[in-house]
Amino acid sequence: MKRRRVLFVQLSHIRLLIKKFALVILFVVAFVMMLLNKTDTVLVDRTSSVATDVVSPVVDFLNLPAKGISFIYDYLKDLRLARRENKLLRAENRKLRLISERARSLEIENRLLAQLLNYKRPDEENLITARVIAEEGDAFSHSLIAYTGKGARPQKGQVVLTERGLVGRLDKVGHIYSKILLITDINSRIPVMIEKTRVRGILAGDNTLQPKLVFTPLFSEIKEGDRIVTSGVAGVFPSGLPVGVVSKVSQREIRVLPYADLDRVEYVKIVSYAQEENPAQVETEGGDE
Amino acid sequence: MNDSFSESLKLLLQRMMPLLSSIFLIAFSYVPFNVFFSSNVHASVSVACVYYWLLHRPDVFNLFSVFVLGLFEGALSSAPYGISVFQLLILYVFVSNLLKYFNGKSFEVMWAGFVLAEFVALFAKWFIASVFWAEFLPVQLLGFAFVVSVFAYPILTLINVFVQNSLMTDEA
Repeated sequence: MKRRRVLFVQLSHIRLLIKKFALVILFVVAFVMMLLNKTDTVLVDRTSSVATDVVSPVVDFLNLPAKGISFIYDYLKDLRLARRENKLLRAENRKLRLISERARSLEIENRLLAQLLNYKRPDEENLITARVIAEEGDAFSHSLIAYTGKGARPQKGQVVLTERGLVGRLDKVGHIYSKILLITDINSRIPVMIEKTRVRGILAGDNTLQPKLVFTPLFSEIKEGDRIVTSGVAGVFPSGLPVGVVSKVSQREIRVLPYADLDRVEYVKIVSYAQEENPAQVETEGGDE
Repeated sequence: MNDSFSESLKLLLQRMMPLLSSIFLIAFSYVPFNVFFSSNVHASVSVACVYYWLLHRPDVFNLFSVFVLGLFEGALSSAPYGISVFQLLILYVFVSNLLKYFNGKSFEVMWAGFVLAEFVALFAKWFIASVFWAEFLPVQLLGFAFVVSVFAYPILTLINVFVQNSLMTDEA
């Protein structure tokens, strides 16, 4: 009887203590969570992936009414623009046919030259098309959550594209949902180059809408309007993927406007290149960031 | 027995309504509409909800609810886990201390209080995130978020008032 009372007193004491210091305890928990984030361990990665899988269905469910509103809006807009767009598309189609012919002959020429040089072609990519269910773009982070489905097995670090260009890379991979780190996020670093001059640099996000081009060689000629593509350095991103266009060149910084409309992405392509499947390389790239 | 069980379940649900509705609203703020506005226009829904419920129903919306909301937002966001919790805990301390001044005041006074609370919450998050990344985060988007949040507050309040009046009884 005595022992039970002692236990009761102790429990109530602990409960009182927890109640008294609850705020301090929760502040400490939040601080520890942030510190663990900084360490970037496998445990943190897995926990974040599970958390993404747990909370994303709520947002996915709420996408239904959003899709309805979006469909009605698009339908009405399409009706209004159909005639003009049709005319433009016909003209574009004529141009594209010519380009297609030219591309076909260039492809044949390229294959013949590659054979002559005994050049080994890079492996074909594997594609996963994913639907964007949540987006975030504020001063603190720029990311998307995409529904990749149960069957697909995307991997951390894989390249994410739209039809216009590079969007970012896979950051947290869950069983059904994955988080995509956009090229504008503060954690994003991508090796790029100027398409024309092949001047290399790093595209560094800083949570603004136009990432910075850094680590470019001194006195390199970079002009507004220059096209930026991935350089393929480090092996995570293949070379030649369209990224954006130089929008501002000043003494202090160079800014790049991404080709992909990052705040209006509906579907993305998650691309796996053979080179990326080396986890050591992916980790090195992630670690640098 | 069954009646009492369903009664207590109903009461529990009602007591959890502020937390559930806040989770619903935060999740909704992440839905991509791709129609009217860009994804860079984000109101601080969590701040508005915590502010409202702490002022109006501190008995059912407590420190634990604030912590859970922070965890939920942290899981959705790609900002470091824990930053949202930290921000909302700071807001909790701020609003808890201001409770006596705002109790029973008009909507305009509450709104002015929200302007102050939003400023404190955003600044706190900005400061913690800047320390975390050892780099000052851009203030333009932050200012934008502040303005959007201030103007979104009346709409969010309307939703919260609806939840309070229609989905909760006095017993809860």
